[in-house]
Amino acid sequence: MDQTRNQPSAGKFWSWFIPIGRQTGGWAFALNRVTALGLTLYLFLHLAALGLLAQGPGAYDKFLALTENPIIKFGEWAVVAAVFLHGLNGIRIILTSFGIGVTRQKQLFYGFMIVAVFVILIFTARMY
Amino acid sequence: MSQSTSSSYISAPRPGENTWIWLIKIVTGPLLILILVLHLIVNHYVGSLPTGLMTYEDVIRYYQNPIIPAIEILFLITVVTHSLIGLRGIILDMNPSRRVLRIVTWFLSLLGIFSVAYGIWLALTLASKGA
Repeated sequence: MDQTRNQPSAGKFWSWFIPIGRQTGGWAFALNRVTALGLTLYLFLHLAALGLLAQGPGAYDKFLALTENPIIKFGEWAVVAAVFLHGLNGIRIILTSFGIGVTRQKQLFYGFMIVAVFVILIFTARMY
Repeated sequence: MSQSTSSSYISAPRPGENTWIWLIKIVTGPLLILILVLHLIVNHYVGSLPTGLMTYEDVIRYYQNPIIPAIEILFLITVVTHSLIGLRGIILDMNPSRRVLRIVTWFLSLLGIFSVAYGIWLALTLASKGA
């Protein structure tokens, strides 16, 4: 049969990020992948930045002043949003991995995403 | 593959992903949600800055309670493991050759070990800076 059609390959890399024309599960997949890469990038930036703490108060507190910068602040907001989107979507994946709600994945996804949006809105209100 | 039953949609180890590795990713996930919520609250509400963030002094004081560096180190190991296994899973989806996959696995393992070692050094340094 058509064996190559669903074969993973490096050439399809960008298509992971394009949820257009997918079903709900495809959106969930794209969302999880984009947030995963973003959070991984953030993790290592975060670890590197915290290294400033070892250099004493001058270096670190000057760096903290950056959090006033609107672009940095938006970046932090994006990290918080990614955490909740990725985390709650992850709970759905774990549930279905153990056979829970497998036939209700779409509902689970929408449910968790509503919770995520709600939490993100609370954070947004606190941050801005 | 004519397997269009719902079972084919269940999350499972990827080809090339050992079941244990997959299980670690699955187990660290919910653990991270718990620690991260704590982490976000602590780092945005406990500090003395108007934004709730911690200044250098706040951080050092916070690290004097030995349970804090212990939790942070545990958190670090968990998050680095989860993130690098996930990254390897993404790379697996690009169908790497066995040779490339071996290099990727080595590189990510070293990156993980280095990150954890660095983080432990940093946490212990901060803990030792107290008065």
